[in-house]
Amino acid sequence: MGFEMEQTDQLILDTAQRLFADHCGADVVNATENGTEPTRLLNAIFEAGLPLAWVPEAAGGVGGSLALGFNLIRKAAGFALAAPLAETMVANRVLAESGLEMEASWTVLVFDGGPLPTLADGKITGLVENAPVYPGVARLVVPVSDQGIIRIATFVPDTLEIEHRESLAGESRARIQLNKASPLELSPVVDGMSEHGLMQFCALVRACQIAGAMEKMNELTVAYVKERQQFGRALGKFQAIQHKVADSAGESALANAAVEQAVRELSEHPRPFSGSADSLLSVATAKVVASEAAGTVSRLAHQCHGAMGFSYEYPLQQYSRRIWSWREEYGSEFYWSERIGLAVAEELKHSAPGQNDGRVWEIVSR
Amino acid sequence: MSETIRFNFPAPVIDDSVDRLRKEVRAFLQEEIRNGGFRPVTDCWCSGIDPEFSRKLGQRGWLGVTWPKEYGGRELSALHRYVITEELLVAGAPVHAHWIADRQSGPLILATGTEEMKRTLLPRIAAGECFVALGLSEPESGSDLASVRTRAYPVEGGWEITGTKLWSSGAQICQYMTVLARTSERDDKKRHEGLTQFLVPLDSPGVSVRGIRDMSGVEHFNESHFEQVFVPENAVLGSVGEGWTQITSELALERAGPERLLSTFVVLEKAFLQAAATMNGHQATVMGGMLARIRALRAMSLGVAALLEQGQYPEVEASLVKDLGTRFEQDIIERLREFWPIQLKQSFGDDLHYLLADSLLRQPSFTLRGGTNEVLKGIIARGMGLR
Repeated sequence: MGFEMEQTDQLILDTAQRLFADHCGADVVNATENGTEPTRLLNAIFEAGLPLAWVPEAAGGVGGSLALGFNLIRKAAGFALAAPLAETMVANRVLAESGLEMEASWTVLVFDGGPLPTLADGKITGLVENAPVYPGVARLVVPVSDQGIIRIATFVPDTLEIEHRESLAGESRARIQLNKASPLELSPVVDGMSEHGLMQFCALVRACQIAGAMEKMNELTVAYVKERQQFGRALGKFQAIQHKVADSAGESALANAAVEQAVRELSEHPRPFSGSADSLLSVATAKVVASEAAGTVSRLAHQCHGAMGFSYEYPLQQYSRRIWSWREEYGSEFYWSERIGLAVAEELKHSAPGQNDGRVWEIVSR
Repeated sequence: MSETIRFNFPAPVIDDSVDRLRKEVRAFLQEEIRNGGFRPVTDCWCSGIDPEFSRKLGQRGWLGVTWPKEYGGRELSALHRYVITEELLVAGAPVHAHWIADRQSGPLILATGTEEMKRTLLPRIAAGECFVALGLSEPESGSDLASVRTRAYPVEGGWEITGTKLWSSGAQICQYMTVLARTSERDDKKRHEGLTQFLVPLDSPGVSVRGIRDMSGVEHFNESHFEQVFVPENAVLGSVGEGWTQITSELALERAGPERLLSTFVVLEKAFLQAAATMNGHQATVMGGMLARIRALRAMSLGVAALLEQGQYPEVEASLVKDLGTRFEQDIIERLREFWPIQLKQSFGDDLHYLLADSLLRQPSFTLRGGTNEVLKGIIARGMGLR
C-alpha cells in the first residue's frame, strides 16, 4: 500500500516537472511579472489537477499525501512558478478540513500569520495586511476566530476592500480590510485547527519553497561558473569560487535536511493544522534554517554570477527576490528562533530543580 | 541544461531497541555525574581521557557494538552506535581513551586485519581495555597526507619502520598505533601509490612517545618517533601499497558522526539551564536559533548514517556535515559570549564559565582535525563537478 502510494506520488511529481518545464520558462516568469497572464501554464496546472493535490478523493481531489504536496510545492519553487499553485493547494486543503465545498478555480487563503479576523453576529471584522491574493482569483478563504475557535469563511473578492500590492518578487499580495463583512459561506467550527497550526503549516510551505528555489540557484551557479571563462580558465577552477559554491551547497543542503524532517513530522501528524508542541520544533527549525540560508545562498550565488546575475534577463534574480520575500513571510528566522527559545525555556521552568541536566538535549533530540 | 544538485538526507529507521539503548545510556551517565564519576568537559571526545571510564563503558557492552559477536561485538546497527556516541558527547563524558579505537581502528582491523588481530584485539577494544592511536600526520604532512615520509622497508620476517608521527591524540595511553608509511619509492606522478598501513604495538623497541601540550593546556597530542622499529609480516593492515584507498574511505566514514556537531553542546545545555528562568525575547532568539541549527545538522548527520546503512558512499554529504557542523561548534561559543563574556582562566566553581573558557581555547582545532574545512570544501566542489 505504502509503495503504491509512493509510486502515484512520483508519477504526479514527474508530470508536474514536465508541465513546469514546458510552460514556465524564465521568459514566462518575467512576462508574468510585467502583466502578461501565463494562460497556457495556468490551464495546464488545472488540467493536471495539481491544485487539488491535497484534497481527499472523497471530496473530489487527488488524495495525495501531505508529503506529496510539500514536494510539489518545492518543485514548483524551483521554476519560480508564475502561478499561485501553493496558495490554492493550501486554501483547498483548508476548505476540505472545514467541510465547505471546493470549486475548480484559483482560490487563496487570506492569512498572513497576523491576528485572525473575528466573527460577531455572523459578520466578520479585521485586517489582513499581507495576504497572497492574486487578481483574478475566484474565491477567498478566510480563517476567522469565533471567540478563539476557528471557522472558515469564504468571500468573492469584489465584495471586499482590497488593496493590491506586490512582494519583492512581484508576486501578488494584498491588504484586506473586513468591516462587518458578510461571508458567502461560513463553516462550522473546524476540528483540529488552530491559529498556530495555520501558522506552522504556512511556514513550512514557505520553507519548502525556499529550499526548492535555492536548489535551482545552486544549479544556475554551478552551470555558470563552469561555463564562464576569465583569466583564461573557467571561474569554477578558482579555489575562491569553489569554496563559495561549496558553502552555498552546504547551506542549501542544511535547509533541505531541516525541511524534509519537518515534512515527515507534519505528514505523519494526525492533526497537521493543530499547531501542536510536537510539530513546533520541527517546523520552526525548517523555517529558521531555510530563512537563514536564503540570505547566505543568495549572497554567494550573486557573487559567483558577477554582474550577469544582477540583470533582469538572467533568471537568478527571480529566485533571489522570491526567497527574500518568502523568508519574511509566516515568521522569519528571528520569529521562529524566539518561539523555540521561549518554548524550551518554558519547559525547563516546569521541571523540578536538579532534574534538569540533559533536558535541553532531550527536547532537541525528540 | 544544468545538472540537478540535490542532497537528500533520509530518515534512519529508529526502532524501540534504539530508543531503549538511548535511555539506558542516558540514565547511566546521569547516575555517574550524580556520583561524581566524572565532571562534564567540553570537546570530551578529544579532551576527556579516563581509561577507567572507558572500561566501564566496555563492561556495559557499549563499545564495538556493531562488530560480530565472535570478536566481542554485539552485531547491533550503526544507529545503535550513533545514539551511544551522541549521549556520551552531550553529557561531556571523558571518552577520548577509546574513541578512536571504537570509531575507526576497530572497523579498520575488521575490514583489513588478520584473523589473529581480530581474535586478540577486537574483544579487548570492545572491553575498553585496548586503545589505538592514529599515525597519519607528520611534521611535514598535514592536509597533504600523501606526502608522508615515514618509511617501511621489508626485512627478514617483516618490516622495519622509521619516521615521526605528529598530533597522534592519546598515544601516551594507547597500546597500538595504526601507522601510515611509504613502502615503495615516491613517484610524483602516482603519489597516492606505495603507501601501507601497519598496526604497531607502541611498546615495540625503538618507539618513543613524547607528549605535546596544546593551547588549552591539555596534553593529549603526541609526537611519536619510530627508529628502525621491527614489525612482523602480519602487522600489515590490508594490502601493501593500498594504504591510501583505505585511509580515504576511513576518513569519509568518520566525517559525519555526531562528534562533528556536538563537541560544544554541553555548553549550550548548561547555558540554557542557567538562562531559562529569566530568558527575554532577544536571548530566546539567539539561543533558540542555535537549537534550530543543531536540529538541522543532526538531521543531516543522521541522514548520512541512513545512507551508509543503505550501502551508499555519501562522501560529499559527509563532507558537508563536517564543514557545517564543526563551524557551528565554534559559533556556539562566539554567540554565547554575548551573555557570558569569557575573560578569566579560573572559573571559581562556575561550571558554565569553565566550559565556555575551555571551549574557546579548544575550538581552533574543530575545523582542522580529520581534514581541514578547506580540504572538505575541495571535496564538495569536486562532487559538484568543479574539479
